[in-house]
Amino acid sequence: MCPGQRPQNAFILARFPGEGAGSNWAAIADCLPRFGQYTEPLYQRPRRKRALPSFENLGHLKRLYPYFVRYRIYLIAAVVGMLAARFMEALVPLMLATAIDSLVEGQGPPNLLWPAVGIAGVVVARFFIFIFARRLLRRIAIATAYDLRKRIFSCVLRQGPAFYGEFDTGDVMSRASGDINSIRGVVSFAFMTLLTFVFTLATGLIFMFALSPELALACLIPTPIVAIVGARMSRRLFPLVRDQREAMADVTSFVQENFNGIRTVQAMAQEGREVARFGQISTRYASLNYRSTKYRAMMNLIIPFFTSLSPLIIFSYGGFLVLEGELTVGIFTAFFAYMAMVTGQIGQIGGILAQFSSSAASAQRVFDIIDRDPEIADRGRDDVPARIEGKVEFKDFSYRYPDAPEDAISDISIEISPGETIAFIGRVGSGKSTILKALARLIDPPPGSVMIDGFDVADYSLKQLRSQVAFIPQDAFLFSDSIRDNITYDDPTREDAPVWDAAEAAQLADSIREFPQELETMVGERGITLSGGQKQRATLSRGLIREACVLAMDDCFAAVDTRTEERILSGLKSLRQGKTTFLISHRVSTARHADRVFVIEAGRIVEQGTHQELLDRGGFYSNLAHVQSNQEKDRARKLELLSMLDIEVPEAGNEVVDK
Amino acid sequence: MNVVTRSPKKSRYSAFDADLTGKALNYRMFVRLLGWIKPYWLPMLVSIVFIVIAAVISVMIPIVTGRVVIDTIMLPRPELGHLPDYGMVDLTEGIASGLDVHLLWAATGVWLGLTLGSAVARYIHRLTLSSAVLRALRDLRNDLFERLEDKPASFYDHVSVGRVMTRVTNDVSNLFELLSSVGNLAGEFVPFFLALFLMWNISPDLTLIVLLILPLVGGAVTIFRRLMSDTFRRVRNSVSNLNQYMQESLIGMEVVQLSGREERNEARFGELNKTNRRLQYKATNYETVFGAFNNSLGNLVIACIIYVGGGLVVEQTITLGSVVLFTQLIGMMINPVVMLSEQFNTLFRSMASGERIFQALDWQERVKEPDDPVMLPETVRGEIEFRHVNFGYYDDEEILHDVSVKVEAGRKLAIVGATGSGKSTMIRLLARFYDFDDGMIFLDGIDVNRIRTRDLRARVGVVLQDFHIFSGTVLDNITLNNPSISDAQAKQAARRVHAHLFIEQLPDGYDTYLSERGQNLSQGQRQLLAFARVLAADPEILVLDEATANIDTATELIIQEALHVLMSGRTSIVIAHRLATIQDCDHILVLHHGVVQEYGTHEELMARGGIYYTLHELQFQDSRAVEELLGALAGEQRPSDADDDGA
Repeated sequence: MCPGQRPQNAFILARFPGEGAGSNWAAIADCLPRFGQYTEPLYQRPRRKRALPSFENLGHLKRLYPYFVRYRIYLIAAVVGMLAARFMEALVPLMLATAIDSLVEGQGPPNLLWPAVGIAGVVVARFFIFIFARRLLRRIAIATAYDLRKRIFSCVLRQGPAFYGEFDTGDVMSRASGDINSIRGVVSFAFMTLLTFVFTLATGLIFMFALSPELALACLIPTPIVAIVGARMSRRLFPLVRDQREAMADVTSFVQENFNGIRTVQAMAQEGREVARFGQISTRYASLNYRSTKYRAMMNLIIPFFTSLSPLIIFSYGGFLVLEGELTVGIFTAFFAYMAMVTGQIGQIGGILAQFSSSAASAQRVFDIIDRDPEIADRGRDDVPARIEGKVEFKDFSYRYPDAPEDAISDISIEISPGETIAFIGRVGSGKSTILKALARLIDPPPGSVMIDGFDVADYSLKQLRSQVAFIPQDAFLFSDSIRDNITYDDPTREDAPVWDAAEAAQLADSIREFPQELETMVGERGITLSGGQKQRATLSRGLIREACVLAMDDCFAAVDTRTEERILSGLKSLRQGKTTFLISHRVSTARHADRVFVIEAGRIVEQGTHQELLDRGGFYSNLAHVQSNQEKDRARKLELLSMLDIEVPEAGNEVVDK
Repeated sequence: MNVVTRSPKKSRYSAFDADLTGKALNYRMFVRLLGWIKPYWLPMLVSIVFIVIAAVISVMIPIVTGRVVIDTIMLPRPELGHLPDYGMVDLTEGIASGLDVHLLWAATGVWLGLTLGSAVARYIHRLTLSSAVLRALRDLRNDLFERLEDKPASFYDHVSVGRVMTRVTNDVSNLFELLSSVGNLAGEFVPFFLALFLMWNISPDLTLIVLLILPLVGGAVTIFRRLMSDTFRRVRNSVSNLNQYMQESLIGMEVVQLSGREERNEARFGELNKTNRRLQYKATNYETVFGAFNNSLGNLVIACIIYVGGGLVVEQTITLGSVVLFTQLIGMMINPVVMLSEQFNTLFRSMASGERIFQALDWQERVKEPDDPVMLPETVRGEIEFRHVNFGYYDDEEILHDVSVKVEAGRKLAIVGATGSGKSTMIRLLARFYDFDDGMIFLDGIDVNRIRTRDLRARVGVVLQDFHIFSGTVLDNITLNNPSISDAQAKQAARRVHAHLFIEQLPDGYDTYLSERGQNLSQGQRQLLAFARVLAADPEILVLDEATANIDTATELIIQEALHVLMSGRTSIVIAHRLATIQDCDHILVLHHGVVQEYGTHEELMARGGIYYTLHELQFQDSRAVEELLGALAGEQRPSDADDDGA
């Protein structure tokens, strides 16, 4: 049962190994080439492409410049502080050396107090300077992350369908959290380490040269090797870590899918096979994790071979210098400390560069979003009327979605006078929603093709347009907030009365009265769960409360039963008196409430007229009406049946919910 | 005859969803974990041996510098030769005389050998440790998955998938962190005690000074922890608030824009963002102070050692090399304490993860399996009988009351009823998703409770309303990776249910990749694919919950046709929503509030003039019409929104 083959029955039959009896699973591992070696993923899935970290796109970090240039004074202060702290660290070995040398016999009275006090003093001073500088730096990083997040949010608020077609929610979220954190890391840590790198190196070297030039020179010989080996090895770690992460993502998505479809898995008796598949996937993850751990361990094995070269020179060459009396014991010990300062820095450089390159990729991903101009430009003219009357005109309106092979709608021409009720009817994907989306400028129609009160929709400011043209989307969506906040989403300052009116109009008021806290009841994740119909009616209330002069309802009754829909639509007749109303539906029962009905097919108007005219014509609409009419038929009989059953089934009324 | 205990009350499941927090070190958990590590005892043992070796070596290195080089070679102090050097001086002298080289060269050689030896020992330790731990946790993860896979529907009805998922993914990963950080701590604490031992042997006085520092560090660490933990928790909360708000805004962006809420939401996000910034600033304050404290300690101790130790050198109690040795050992004393403080949170978080994992492993809910299962013959006739079935999910409720119906082999039964009538429950019982009393449901006269679940389910093909697509190719989704179904058989099945037509039109045909939610397929297409899946598995009995979704007329006709193919020659029990489906069946059962209201053939029921007759007269074709009407029958109590059958 190795990768590429299908699992064999032996595993399917392998039932619970006892607790801790890992031998069954070990058998799975045995068929992998070797634990810790790369294997192809067992199940290919399209993976989201991520820019690979590489040193080439370091340039993207330049984009961050404007974000912290305003903190330049603090930045300089932080750098100076850091350098001072480094310098003070370098003083400690020197004082230690002084103390040690004074203890060597025949050097006069020992000098112990002052070095001890000196070290303590340096430690205390460094303590405060270090806090000051590090804190400043971190604050700058936090502030930068804050600014970037703010920019991203403000940017996504003004994007439209093209943007959301390209980036899904998870993608934007990962840019706004993971990538921004990675940038924050580079600002608060890598940047400073790089800046102080040269200085620390220089300080260490200067002290060494001052104490003993020949020993310092000898010590320096192996350092370039350390730098090269360190940088090379840490770079090669990248792909290993990435493979490990992807293997973990495979584990996660396998588990998620399996539990989501657990009923299907159990119904088809697939548990054994799924367990075997999971065994392979989780073994692959463990194996790839081991692979990268092995590599890290190897780095930790090899790098000491090179980093111990310099101390070795101190040991031997420096040792002989001491024996010859050219070097004191104190300086001999101090050299070890200075050397650690230098090699420690050089060893870190590989990791820092890695951090830089991955943050550069993150910066690119963040600016991908921030650089987007608002998709729907808001450039309203001043001479439009403040109040929209509701005369709507489509003139040869055609629209094609970005990257779509053909027009979603073509050559739609309709004139609608204020107060009319219009219905669009057609199949899924016929383009009827697109027409109404243009009204609220959820998409940007070509200039001059969609007019309200004689002005192009683009001439109105978005604020005015969207407050006076209400569009109720098809998907019922509620925020996890109270029911009141959901209904008054556009203007939370509303009084109770209009909220109840809107709820009444959407036939939701009775449901609300049954909720534990009525209007204040929380819905969504942290509150009660509404049924599909209740959600849709809440969405409807949110649109109706605005009493807009133009109301567009995009198939808002799909989850509402026909009787309730009938009541809502009848109610709307009086509420919408004198106001323009658009209905989209695939049900004739909805469309018959309209003054005029347009049948849309493949983006074109194929039939139009009043409900009666279309019925008489005998085309698509009348066929649809015929098929759907059963619901309307024989109301009297329904009522009769009801009364009959009330006698027959006395326990009717105990509400039982089918699990 | 045994009577089953019904599924536990809902409140019991909240224990599964609750946030467990590891309050204290849980030794029993470690002992249990050992059970999984046991198969890998050899690498584990090697790992432990080598960390001790590495620790011993790393304590020896300062001895070479201090005692050998300074005290013996540079400033010989034979009168203080009683101070311990653990044979390092003898070793160096032995090498020097053996190879006839200067003592210093010999010392250099020893030093290099020890340094590299320590690196090698640590390398072996890391490899063996991670190999053992990774494999052990892989096994734990697999065992956990296997247990969860076996939990009955009642379990998955009550706990959220997200919670279950986290246990298999994050919680196990946390345990990995726990075990490796325990390994790391061991790698730090072994040298700690060795160094302490060495220091005590050289100079108890000086060691006492170092030991005085430790409680100070411990106290400071505890105080910092306490201060920081609250702030960190608030930072985490604010981050999750921030992300949640952003995510919700993204999902509902259309509503946001249509309501003209951009500015308001920006302001709200701004507030959350600001709160987050404020808390981050605060956390940073603690962190920098704590960090500065940690990396100042070493030098502070060094100052003390210089002062006190220097005095001892002057008094000729200890050697200069010993003082140098002490300064080099300081790191080994402080690092473990600092590291422990840094990994405190990880430790407790992982502890909680361990508790959650074991809770899931110990969760004793499982579909009851018979003690002496009846083996089914190669082919079963497929006669199904429900005999006086009484059932409720909880003790105090009854969904089905005395339901009796017999479906002869090869016959077809349509179940008609409103939401809440118990029709879904009937088919769920048949597929053994829930436990029920013995002697209620029979397959070919055999009590299904005496048949192993897997054997039963191999004979009963269930098509649920909601067709679950597993990410993979179309072919994978038909065969479900069952090796006994060949590709040709799968394609044949797809052809017979007319799924072939649309599959051919997909970009890569049968190899087209389907994502989990199957956005690339329409409702009707998914239904056809579900049919193909069942037909490929070829069970003797078909149980089907007809989908209520609105499907366009052309696809609807294809589905009718496919359903006919699927049911032919198979005992079938169908929850029917469409008239055509009902007319395909031999018998019809009208279920109302868990009671059989009417049962008979189409003709019988028509002649009877009851509910079915009326329904038929109304010519329901649209599922909505049925639902609505039956909803009305239920007494007008429920607003009969066109919700799915609770599925």
